[in-house]
Amino acid sequence: MGSWLLEPLAYEFMQRGLVVAVLVGVVCALVGCYIVLRGMAFLGDALSHAILPGLAVGYMASAGNPTSLFWWALGAAILSSVTISALSRDGRIKQDTAIGIVFAGMFALGIALISTMRSYAVDLSHFLFGNVLGVTSADVRLTAGVSLLVLLLIVAFYKEFLVLSFDAHLAKTLRLPARWLEILLSVLTAVAIVVSLQTVGVSLVVALLVTPAATAYLLTKKLRNMMVLAAAIAAASGIVGLYTSYYFNVASGAAIVLACTALFIAVWIAQKLRSSLRRQPVS
Amino acid sequence: MKSQFAKSGRIPPHPDSRFALELRNLNVRFNGLTVLEDLSIQVESGLRVAVVGPNGAGKSTLFNVLAGLLAPASGEVHIHGHLPAEYLCLAYVPQSSHVDWNFPVSVQDVVMMGRAGQLGLLRWPGSKDAAQVKQSLDQVQLSKFARRQISELSGGQKQRMLLARALAQEANLLLLDEPLAGLDLPSQEQILSILAGLKAQGITVLFATHDLELAGDHFDRILLLNRKLIAYGAQKEVLTVENLSLAYGGHMQVVETKEGKVWLGDIGGHHDHDEEGRHG
Repeated sequence: MGSWLLEPLAYEFMQRGLVVAVLVGVVCALVGCYIVLRGMAFLGDALSHAILPGLAVGYMASAGNPTSLFWWALGAAILSSVTISALSRDGRIKQDTAIGIVFAGMFALGIALISTMRSYAVDLSHFLFGNVLGVTSADVRLTAGVSLLVLLLIVAFYKEFLVLSFDAHLAKTLRLPARWLEILLSVLTAVAIVVSLQTVGVSLVVALLVTPAATAYLLTKKLRNMMVLAAAIAAASGIVGLYTSYYFNVASGAAIVLACTALFIAVWIAQKLRSSLRRQPVS
Repeated sequence: MKSQFAKSGRIPPHPDSRFALELRNLNVRFNGLTVLEDLSIQVESGLRVAVVGPNGAGKSTLFNVLAGLLAPASGEVHIHGHLPAEYLCLAYVPQSSHVDWNFPVSVQDVVMMGRAGQLGLLRWPGSKDAAQVKQSLDQVQLSKFARRQISELSGGQKQRMLLARALAQEANLLLLDEPLAGLDLPSQEQILSILAGLKAQGITVLFATHDLELAGDHFDRILLLNRKLIAYGAQKEVLTVENLSLAYGGHMQVVETKEGKVWLGDIGGHHDHDEEGRHG
């Protein structure tokens, strides 16, 4: 082991950052598998932006206490996902239209609220771009608790989410509570997004949801393996990203997302090469 | 009478009915249009019924109502005496084009999904469910393919897998929407013989098809539909020139040949709104 691996670990902020980056990566990757399989990346992106008014109100109400911001953001995300589900329920407004309306409306509300405040710039920028190296040990505990809860729910409802994602009509004819499962899944998405805010920020969180899951999707044809692989890819990207950030002084959130993206590109190219080699006639 | 579809929280005591399916004055509207009008019918248990009619006749809509996916505007639906949304032992086999064949699951994973309703929330499948899946796969002759990724199946195998999933649901009413569409002749024969084998289990089958000849040859009853009920009964009573021209109108031609009468309906072609089907 080179000392360059151990050196950053001497700092407590690095230790905390690594724990949070790995936890958040795993949670996002697991929820992200369902998002990728159901073609819901737009919902993920929308929810991550729709929490902005929650952050703004939370900031005004609590002078920037991170735990309080977390709950306000979660409230805004859940409100948005339930509104989207209610708007598109009777089928007259398509779901992606409902997402567009709610997402833009909430984001605009957030910007409007922030523009009325004076000294927002520094503190809220952490939530826009992430600052995983700034997490406190209270943040680590909160992240760990919430991550564990999401993991438990994903394991507990594995069978139901599988049916719902594969065939929503089947879920209904099996008399599963399809609508409630749908809402639960989007609430879990909201939780995954909010818990990742400090790591990668509002603007990059969709990458944590989609990229590791998509990479895993290319590598396996079994859902369980896909979830395990996606989690491993996200955890590894979190670690690689933080070391990159430490040694090259790159913004930590961007470094983590770039690590995910690099892995995806590598796998995608490897598969293209392999399939074109296979197609080559043997002469 | 939407109220009958409301969640009552408990299943009412059901009358012991010899009918798998009873419809009384069923009216279904979709996007402001009447798709099914004043449909009344009684189907006895264990019959194989071909549901035929032109495009837009309301076949898929009828299935959606029976499956509890779509609430009727008025009228009554009873499946073995139950309301549709409360009846668990019903399986809807969708057109195979509605399935995402690149989904990362194996054949047995998909068939196991059929167990999710019987299992209920938060329970993991046990040995009884595994046995049921195995038996369903045996019945459709797919046991060898149990671990196969679903994208690697042929058209006939895909349809048989969906049939196995329905059997794993322990359904006694099967709704099959154009299950033979796009399949080669041997695959069609294979599915028809599997369906014939279900009779011994007392399973009622409703089978939507465009193929009048198939309907006549392989089914106990024919339900001829064009927004209203045109006729329901055995082949001889239903496939008359009068009924067919009522159902198919100007699109129907009857041609006399050496072998007898040949009916030419509007097979394929345009798709009306309700045959786009599976809304929800």
